[in-house]
Amino acid sequence: MDTMLFTDRSIWTMIHGIALGGGALMGLSAALFSLRAMSTADVSDVAAQTQSRCLAWLTVSIAVALWLTVLVGTYINFPPYRATPPAGLLDLSQYPRSLIQSDPGTVWLQSFAMEIKEHVPWIAAMLATAVAFVSVRYRSKLLSDAQLRSMSTALLAICFVLVFFVALLGIFINKVAPLE
Amino acid sequence: MAASEDRKNGEVANGAALASFLGAGIGAFAVGVMVILSEAGLFVVPTLYAPAGGVSSRTTSAALIWVIGWAVLHSRWKGRQIESRRVHAVTMLLIGLGVLLTFPPVWKLL
Repeated sequence: MDTMLFTDRSIWTMIHGIALGGGALMGLSAALFSLRAMSTADVSDVAAQTQSRCLAWLTVSIAVALWLTVLVGTYINFPPYRATPPAGLLDLSQYPRSLIQSDPGTVWLQSFAMEIKEHVPWIAAMLATAVAFVSVRYRSKLLSDAQLRSMSTALLAICFVLVFFVALLGIFINKVAPLE
Repeated sequence: MAASEDRKNGEVANGAALASFLGAGIGAFAVGVMVILSEAGLFVVPTLYAPAGGVSSRTTSAALIWVIGWAVLHSRWKGRQIESRRVHAVTMLLIGLGVLLTFPPVWKLL
């Protein structure tokens, strides 16, 4: 039984989409809930300081996870996805982009879905980094200052929507032309 | 250290926070601009990593603009209390435009 259950390419796809991207999505959900549930007027409260420290760690983790997702996606997963097959090759299963483009019914997965996946996650990573910076630098002030909290919540909410959307597109692409 | 730097008259100045928010808006807009310029054929940054193609240069350029923009804003605004409403509005506008410009249906309008 020398058959490999998963190839390197498949494992990197799972790290990119499930471990890092999925982890970031879960972190974003937790951070959004925390910003809503932990708001307080008393920043000297010991509980508030503990909560703000946890929130700071959470937002930093989200930003790190998103940057790793973006970098792994761009520099490890994308090159084999877009590789050009040798002329005349009929089995395109190892060349996902060419496989998708060979069927008019799935062309949109490249022309729409993958084009969005190439760029939008970078925006999400920048937004998450901005909130992580604020949560570390301002700590408990983030939970007590309505304006800081609302802007951080808005950026994380946008971030969540963007990551959710590109993750969904990634699932569609992987269902049709998995990187194996 | 950072907290005392931001403290002004007993209040914690919001300048560094707004610089990071607006910096992210600039970064998002830069991603969109890089994409639309490339799609229109007006400006194409040379590819940084050939196996990944043009996306490597477009996104790296945008990330550089984001870092530089954030650094400049941070150095000017840290320790200052800034009126936040306008900064928030501009940040949201830049993010919205940045995301919009990365959408392929928008490129077809060119």
